Amino acid sequence: MRIMTAMPDVMTNPETLKAQDKAWRLIVWNDPVNLMSYVSYVFQSYFGFTRERAEQLMLQVHNDGFCVVRSGAREAIESDVHAMHGFGLQATMTQEA
Amino acid sequence: MAKAFKSGARGITGSLHASERKLLRELFGDVIKVLEERAAVHELPEDIDPLYALTGMRPKSADLPEPSDAAVKRLLPDASEDKAVAAEFRRLTEADLIAEKTSLLREAQLLLETEKLVLQVPAAQRFARALNDVRLVLAERLDIRDEADSERIAQLVDAAAVQSPQEYLGLVYNLVSWVQDTLMQALMNAER
Repeated sequence: MRIMTAMPDVMTNPETLKAQDKAWRLIVWNDPVNLMSYVSYVFQSYFGFTRERAEQLMLQVHNDGFCVVRSGAREAIESDVHAMHGFGLQATMTQEA
Repeated sequence: MAKAFKSGARGITGSLHASERKLLRELFGDVIKVLEERAAVHELPEDIDPLYALTGMRPKSADLPEPSDAAVKRLLPDASEDKAVAAEFRRLTEADLIAEKTSLLREAQLLLETEKLVLQVPAAQRFARALNDVRLVLAERLDIRDEADSERIAQLVDAAAVQSPQEYLGLVYNLVSWVQDTLMQALMNAER
């Protein structure tokens, strides 16, 4: 195994790193088409939420018009958005301010 | 007349009348057609590096235009309110999403070859997604924009009272909604 005696000179400048580190949010939007039973089931089966938690989030989407379902690294949220679109839900991603 | 889906020892079962199955197969076919038309937009210019065609990647210079058909836009929505993020996401992932959806819709068409449906949970989940895509497209054609529109359409239940093609479409939408909803109830019971 190679022993590292010094940090390799590949650090990006700290400011850029900070901007990249900011988490992304997954937002699911309300629409008049998707059935409440379906949205709730998708939240349960895809995210692994309990039935209570899934229904709570579904109702939040329904009543408030949208809901931040979770946040995380860009790649993770991108894959969530892709999955939600696969289920036919209106989902978008946004970086935290 | 269709029988509601139920969860039992053999899996999730339901049955649909021959005319309902024919109608649903046509609806799945319609959505496939809508997606195939969109896929045609994905063709890369001939003078491009053949490596792109080989890998299925799109170069940065070949962003996809936003869908002009509202139904397509609903099936393949923007991934972000940030235009640049949405465009990049579309360029990199839309082809996969079209392929996924098309494959689920074809699977659903095949399922409906038989009168009695017996589905295990994963197949039932995939069937629910295909039904949902049909409803998204029908809702767009019916101009369902808010809960009030949705309520209005839900009132259409009597086939004898239907007077226009639009009302007939509403009936069809309600049938697909009912099938999907009973499927969801069965899936939730299956997960207990």
